[in-house]
Amino acid sequence: MNDSTETLQQAPDIKQKETDNPDKTDFRQDYISFRNYNFFYGPTQVLFDVNLDIPERQVTALIGPSGCGKSTLLRNINRMNDLVDGIRHEGELLIDGTSAYDPTVEVISLRKRIGMVFQKSNPFAKSIYENVVYGLRVAGRKKKSSLDEAVETSLRRAALWDEVKDRLGESAFGLSGGQMQRLCIARAIANNPEIILMDEPCSALDPVATGKIEDLIHDLKKEYTIVIVTHNMQQAARVSDQTAFFYLGKLIEYDETEKIFMNPAQKQTEDYVRGRFG
Amino acid sequence: MSHTNPEPNKAKPLPSRFQVGKSTLYFDNFMNYAIKIGGIGVIAAICGIFIFLTYQIMPLFRGATVEFEQTLDLGNLEISAMGIDPWSQLPLFVSPDGTLNFYDIQDLDKEYNRGFFQMDPGLPDGVEFPFTRYSNHEDSAIFGTADGRFAVVQVEFESTHPDYRSREVVANLTTTPLFRIGLDDGEFEQIDYVDAGRNKLAVAIQRDQEGQRRIFAVTFSQNQPLIGDPVTVRDREFELSDLFEGEARFMRLTGDSDFVIVGTDIGELHLLARERGGFTNRQTIQPFAGRQSETIRSMNFLSGRLSLILTNEVGEMMMYSIFHSEESDERILGRTKEFQPALPTGQGAEFYSHTPRNKAFLVGGGNYAQIRYATTEAIRWGGDLDFTVEHALLGRRYDRIMFVDTENQLQIFTVRDPHPETGWKAYFGKIHYEGRTEPEYMWQSDGDDDFEPKLSMVPLIWGTLKGTVFAMLIAVPIALLAAFYTSQFLKPEIRRLIKPVMEIMESVPTVVLGFLAALWLAPLISARIPSVFLIILSLPIAVIAFGAILANLPIQFRKWVKPGYEFLYFAPFMMLTAYFAWQMGPLFEAIFFRVENPETGEVVGSFAVWWTETTDYPVRLRNAFVVGIFMGFAIIPTIFTIAEDSMTNVPQSFRSGALALGASRWQTAISVILPTAAAGIFSAVMIGFGRAVGETMILLMATGNTPIMTANPFDGMRTLAANIAVELPEAAQGGTLYRSLFLGALLLFAFTFFINTVAEVMRQKLRDRYKAVE
Ligand SMILES: Nc1ncnc2c1ncn2[C@@H]1O[C@H](COP(=O)(O)OP(=O)(O)OP(=O)(O)O)[C@@H](O)[C@H]1O
Ligand SMILES: [Mg+2]
Repeated sequence: MNDSTETLQQAPDIKQKETDNPDKTDFRQDYISFRNYNFFYGPTQVLFDVNLDIPERQVTALIGPSGCGKSTLLRNINRMNDLVDGIRHEGELLIDGTSAYDPTVEVISLRKRIGMVFQKSNPFAKSIYENVVYGLRVAGRKKKSSLDEAVETSLRRAALWDEVKDRLGESAFGLSGGQMQRLCIARAIANNPEIILMDEPCSALDPVATGKIEDLIHDLKKEYTIVIVTHNMQQAARVSDQTAFFYLGKLIEYDETEKIFMNPAQKQTEDYVRGRFG
Repeated sequence: MSHTNPEPNKAKPLPSRFQVGKSTLYFDNFMNYAIKIGGIGVIAAICGIFIFLTYQIMPLFRGATVEFEQTLDLGNLEISAMGIDPWSQLPLFVSPDGTLNFYDIQDLDKEYNRGFFQMDPGLPDGVEFPFTRYSNHEDSAIFGTADGRFAVVQVEFESTHPDYRSREVVANLTTTPLFRIGLDDGEFEQIDYVDAGRNKLAVAIQRDQEGQRRIFAVTFSQNQPLIGDPVTVRDREFELSDLFEGEARFMRLTGDSDFVIVGTDIGELHLLARERGGFTNRQTIQPFAGRQSETIRSMNFLSGRLSLILTNEVGEMMMYSIFHSEESDERILGRTKEFQPALPTGQGAEFYSHTPRNKAFLVGGGNYAQIRYATTEAIRWGGDLDFTVEHALLGRRYDRIMFVDTENQLQIFTVRDPHPETGWKAYFGKIHYEGRTEPEYMWQSDGDDDFEPKLSMVPLIWGTLKGTVFAMLIAVPIALLAAFYTSQFLKPEIRRLIKPVMEIMESVPTVVLGFLAALWLAPLISARIPSVFLIILSLPIAVIAFGAILANLPIQFRKWVKPGYEFLYFAPFMMLTAYFAWQMGPLFEAIFFRVENPETGEVVGSFAVWWTETTDYPVRLRNAFVVGIFMGFAIIPTIFTIAEDSMTNVPQSFRSGALALGASRWQTAISVILPTAAAGIFSAVMIGFGRAVGETMILLMATGNTPIMTANPFDGMRTLAANIAVELPEAAQGGTLYRSLFLGALLLFAFTFFINTVAEVMRQKLRDRYKAVE
């Protein structure tokens, strides 16, 4: 546990990123990079020869019909799939130039760098406050004032602060579905990660909450690299800079969002974004 | 519902594609009822058990019933004392003229009934006996003359069966010659005589011509002539009056003829001991010191001749018993009971009679009588009579009371009290039993004739808890840690193997475990207790140390230990540690448990001796520690399975959430999984507890079953469950022991029921806290 704290402290300086640079080309274009990546759940292959470079501080949307492997790809990035039995992968996954599966990589510090928001909101059976600071607490942060501060900033950023500021001590289960989802986002940003993975974060939300989260994503991309899985084409069009279309475990097309939606190169992509199959 | 609809247009018939199949509905209904009936059946069965047990123990908490039977006229027979045969059917009346008069009260209307008849014990003719007494303890009548002599008439009752339906009791009399005691011209107030084989003793209180009371003792010895029966010879006479202050009013001899107990007119009690050929005053007590009345009004022995029931002038009642004092290493008298409330007559006891059957006695005055039970200090029965009592007698079998009233009528009552020795106090109270130094909780269901049953449930409850606590001490940490590890850290493929193994472990018959515990482990462990300590101590330390070393290795080395396979490295390491600890035990013992052998002065390392010297407790072969290990083994699977399930069932999303935030597996497990699974873990522990409470075979075989109450882990105990198993063969149906065992069963049942209920309630409560999870 000790070493993981150290790794956090050694994590790349975040301040440097905060200088909001609209010129995206200054940032690394292959920040997250899949190279000839194959992935298997036991005998079944789920990802087939994926080559995908996700640029830094941009929003990348993963779209595709159900079961095509979007979540699997996402869960590979922070190695959440390690929990599953009998998984196997081939090819390379580089994050900021180092292999995520290198034996010397500490999976805990990897996950600290990569926040994740799940498809189904999953707050802990704890108070709102404790939910937000969970990541900080397990990293060994104890100082009350710094925790308080983290709670407020993260909740504000997740557009939840005003709704919950008077009930921070209450159970997170008392929140509505949308509030819970935003709490999970706040929980992820409280950790100050570099990458945020979002797996259909709005699938259970009403348009108002969805709008709030989309605004949030917009806001967050100044500092974070965001990968979002969505079934909502409009949403992908609204929030993302790049879009990757997957079909049956293969990356069919990957380009600027505008291009994918206006003028896709592949017939399958066009059919899909026009809603002609599913 | 459509037909009750008041609207005119009838509801359209439902299209057939929406209709539910008849058989589906039928089956659904059927299952509904079947489940309901099953549920009600289970509840009914539990209630049934409860009611049955309660019904069985009810008689234990009831008092005696006394019913009037008949009145018989004794005419103008002069009665000075009264006795009875062992079957309560041939009361006898002692007359001052030196005769014994019997009244056959059984089957009065039958022709074989002998009615009223007189027997002459063969005392010299023409002698009057102003003093008579009948002792129910040894069926003897004592006659005292006006000129300082006395004789003892021993009555022996025999029963014959003239036909198979009736019993006839015959009395045989043996009479001693008249022995001289005390003054020639004194008036006898008390004579007591005890025949303890070779030691015979007579003591008398006499009033001399000035009205002064004096007390004399005569010892007898038994001479064996060459031919014929042994002859009792008068030996020596002592005057005891000067051994104490005041005048002797009451006097009794203990059954072994070792003590004369004297009550004086100034309210003191003296224990005169017969030693070194004479008498010494060993002890003086004032039984009613500081009371409303300090004057002794009556003093009588209870059955067994060890305990005295005393009353004072306002009817307060106490019991003093002879027991072995630990301080002086002598037998002394001490107050063992104080009966509450005092006699309602507000006076001392005017009549008293005990039964040799148990510790009950009949006491009262005027027209009030009550039956008390000495052991429990309880009033079994009490009531007003419509006559004034002159003589009273409690039947030898505790089945009848006979009174002779002032009109010379024999009033006969039936007593029905099958369980006089029971009651709340007997089962749950601290009781000063006869011959014991202090009030105690004791269980001892049988013994010799003069035995006082000791029925306290407390040592058994204690034993049950002790066994359970030791088992839990061993089982809970192991089972919970194992469940924790298995569910959170172990690779699922291996986890799938653990479950069936645990189930096999659970299905090992506990009799096998008990057998192993008693025959194999008990001797092994008792000899190597320090080794076991060392293992218990060193394992966690070693594991933590090993873990720390592993965690601090550079990642290049650490990566060889795959998550989920840590046990491959730990298990051999732990086995090695345990092996070393076991081997180091004797060394550890030699260094830390050094004791000096008091005889040889040799210094040896011995845990058993050290323990006994330090704590004063023995180390026994079959003890709670061994039982704890084996019971632990028996309940580990139960706790493990339930706890493991509840931890595995924590939604995966909780784990993912925590892990994605960079928590380690430990942090996830402790901060997220444990609180969420708390309800299940709690009920696992409680169910394990319930199982340990009811466990019988291991305890039966490996504890020694001594119902003692010590916290000593190296001593045995007896549990409620084992008690039932041990005593069942001895228990006559419907008897006190039989019902007491039912009481034990009810306690056990209530206990487990309570634990399970608490477990369930807590589980629901805890689950409610996390119900939003689903
Ligand atoms: N734990 C698992 N074990 C075995 N197979 C799995 C596992 N998780 C997913 N799969 C399979 O992998 C394939 C891709 O699943 P994945 O969850 O990545 O799809 P998805 O694109 O996220 O779909 P959706 O849009 O419905 O969420 C599916 O065929 C699924 O059945
Ligand atoms: Mg998915």
